Amino acid sequence: MKKKLLSIVLSIAVTATMLVGCGSTTTETATDATEATETAEEATDAEETAEAPAEEAALDISEPVTLKWYLHGSTVNDDMAVMEKVNEYLGEKLNVTLEPIWGTWGDFDEGSTLAINGGDDVDIYFTCSWSANEYNAFAKKGAWVRLDNPENNLLEKYGSDIWNTLPEVLKAGAQIEGSDGYGVYALPGYKDFGTQNCWDINVTLLEECGYTLDDIRNTDYYGFGDILKKAKELKGNDFYPLLVEGLVLERMVDNSIIVNGDSGSLNVLSYYIDPTDVSKDIGSKVVNKYATEEFKKFAEKTREYYEAGYIDPGLANKQTANDLRTSKQLNADYLIGTQSYALGYEVQTSAERGIEVAYVPCTPPYVDKTSTQGAMMAISTASKNPERAMAFLNLLNTDPYLMTLLEYGVEGVHYNLNDDGLVVFTDEHDNYQPWRNGMGNVTILPPQEGEGKDFFTKTFIPYYDSAKAIPAFGYQFDPTNVETELAALANVGEEYALALCVGSIDPATALPEFLDKLEAAGMSKVVDEANAQLDAYFANEQ
Amino acid sequence: MSKNAQMVLHHKKKRPFNAVSVPAEVVINTIMTLFCATCIIPFIFVVIISFTSEESIRKIGYSFTPLSWGTEAYAYVMKLGDQLWISYFNSFFTTIVGTGLSVLICILYSYALFRRDFKFRSFFSFFSFFTMLFGGGLVPTYMVCKQMLGLSDNYAALIVPLLVNPFNIIVMRTFFQSSVPEELIEAAAIDGSGEYNTLFKIIIPIAKPGIATIALLNALAYWNEWFVALLYVRERAKIPLQYLLMQMQRNVEYLAKNSANMGADAAAAASSLPTQSLRMAMVVLIVIPIAFAYPFFQRYIIAGLTIGSVKG
Repeated sequence: MKKKLLSIVLSIAVTATMLVGCGSTTTETATDATEATETAEEATDAEETAEAPAEEAALDISEPVTLKWYLHGSTVNDDMAVMEKVNEYLGEKLNVTLEPIWGTWGDFDEGSTLAINGGDDVDIYFTCSWSANEYNAFAKKGAWVRLDNPENNLLEKYGSDIWNTLPEVLKAGAQIEGSDGYGVYALPGYKDFGTQNCWDINVTLLEECGYTLDDIRNTDYYGFGDILKKAKELKGNDFYPLLVEGLVLERMVDNSIIVNGDSGSLNVLSYYIDPTDVSKDIGSKVVNKYATEEFKKFAEKTREYYEAGYIDPGLANKQTANDLRTSKQLNADYLIGTQSYALGYEVQTSAERGIEVAYVPCTPPYVDKTSTQGAMMAISTASKNPERAMAFLNLLNTDPYLMTLLEYGVEGVHYNLNDDGLVVFTDEHDNYQPWRNGMGNVTILPPQEGEGKDFFTKTFIPYYDSAKAIPAFGYQFDPTNVETELAALANVGEEYALALCVGSIDPATALPEFLDKLEAAGMSKVVDEANAQLDAYFANEQ
Repeated sequence: MSKNAQMVLHHKKKRPFNAVSVPAEVVINTIMTLFCATCIIPFIFVVIISFTSEESIRKIGYSFTPLSWGTEAYAYVMKLGDQLWISYFNSFFTTIVGTGLSVLICILYSYALFRRDFKFRSFFSFFSFFTMLFGGGLVPTYMVCKQMLGLSDNYAALIVPLLVNPFNIIVMRTFFQSSVPEELIEAAAIDGSGEYNTLFKIIIPIAKPGIATIALLNALAYWNEWFVALLYVRERAKIPLQYLLMQMQRNVEYLAKNSANMGADAAAAASSLPTQSLRMAMVVLIVIPIAFAYPFFQRYIIAGLTIGSVKG
């Protein structure tokens, strides 16, 4: 009798585990179903409101509403003073109380995806192309409200002010395939959306060595030898002049770029651009970059520099490389480094490091879909007040007072304005320091001290207007069919890629080994799949 | 011959007749010493790193013999100011309250399972055992805790998820079975003791060693817990010490991982994050209080080891 009971219970248990195994899909379909009903409701609502006035539906703000806002970025210790002012202002304007959830860097991925999957009552989420609550993936799952839904065009009704001021390329980048068709599922932030890799030069030391910036500009990675040698002689044996992030260095030297949708940071796929004109179609295919001649040449040169003592062996250790690099940068303990550039960064770093820092670009700034989706705000389908959320985003991105308050804090407490109207932070700023690029339109902010009075109008906007889109703008690799292979490739890459890119292992023996292992892990299948998708993309474009 | 034999006998007498041979003892002691060393050395290393100056870490990396010593890390920790003390308080508070409550629940549950006259004994045994084998998965658990139970930004969120531990219940039930004779309960009943009286006045004093063991396990679990804080706590004023450290660590890792995508932003954010030695200093500050908890429980645990089998 007992045995019988046990066997019944065990079989129930087995079925239960099977159900749990499929649990994620079941919950998804469940949320999809609720979303479908929600959107249906919204649609009928919209029809009713659309009939009454003509085009511009006035926002009904008679009911007070609380908006929860999930952000990404640095830790905010104390937001009391700021939120008090913000809510006073928003209460008047939109009858809204704002409740921000400050996501710290490390916990954002887990926290936000749980909140979305768990159906938390959060109205607005930060989303982007590189975090775990990835814009494209969650748009497909139906987590975001389609903002330009023809049946209820929130953007047109409540967000036209900001939408019309955004650069075209940002608008185009925001359009993706989602649960409600091809459209805009989040409002892109107007921040630095171009990518430009630069040599990070310690000018102070460079001049001590008897060189000038022109000497750097007129040569390339393969011609740095003499300069590095001089610096090494000058500063002694413990000094390592090349302070590089291995994988970035490789991209800078070979003009390869990351393929959107590739596995994590150890990208195995590559796409090449023309270093002088990034928008020119050079007919590049997606390739296994480690098998190219360029990579071999690069790895050999890097090995040579490594053996000569120009590269710190610590940079080959993935766990500590970043810490090491940061602390060496702060101590100006380098001559040439690698840096993905953001406008005005030299001012900040010069001050931090106590030296003159200059950035020498390898290519003009370029834009791909990944970089236009660097920081966006999406309205959750779990939100009960998507209209008010859109109106808030519109106000936030167009009202300098509100934006400044949320980004910099309260004037006189967290910052002061100097005679030129530039922002100077006080000590209180340590307790309220959100991520500037993580909120939205930075161009309506007053510039910070050191950036200069017309930083945004004269420098920032023209610079990013000049950024050109790459030929395969909008191409997004869909890894669904080759996920197993990608995981295996990432493991192999983990073992070799960084070591080869900083020269800590000898490419003569390691590179062939690496290529064999990549091939065994299914490299060609992934490359073929990626190229098939690329061809399909180009065919679609024409 | 006899002299030799006597000497051997004499020599043998010095050691108890059932003692392990000398070479065996040497081997065993060496193994144990090595084992202890592998346990303690990493911690000593952490302490050394926390007192190493930044400059030395930059130059030669981690080392048992750093170039120079420094207390910058601790000075910086103190600059965390209120947040550090608040988190200390939160950790102590949840550990004390959580341990108390979970021990109480564990005793009540396992005592009922221990009583043979409890009708639904096998059902409830299975009920708790089942959760050891099968969980609901992260998202459903999150939804139940956050939306149904309202565990969000409060101390309950740090305490409730760890309240019932089926493993501890099984340990405790077995302990009752091996150390509490059923006749005792019958005798108490005959003498007119009610159920509550029997449990709290008679059974619990006998079961002290077992209770101390699960109390220690629970205290460790509460003190070291950071994951529930990650799930349910967003408010800075409610985060425990362990999670404060975890956040620092995860921030550093995250920025390193995403530096390619975030570019200059990542570098700018990373430059304001704490350094290696600072994180080690945090580890030291976290370990010390809980290390003191062990001696407190120790005598009960040793008592627990000798109880049972001998008395039969």
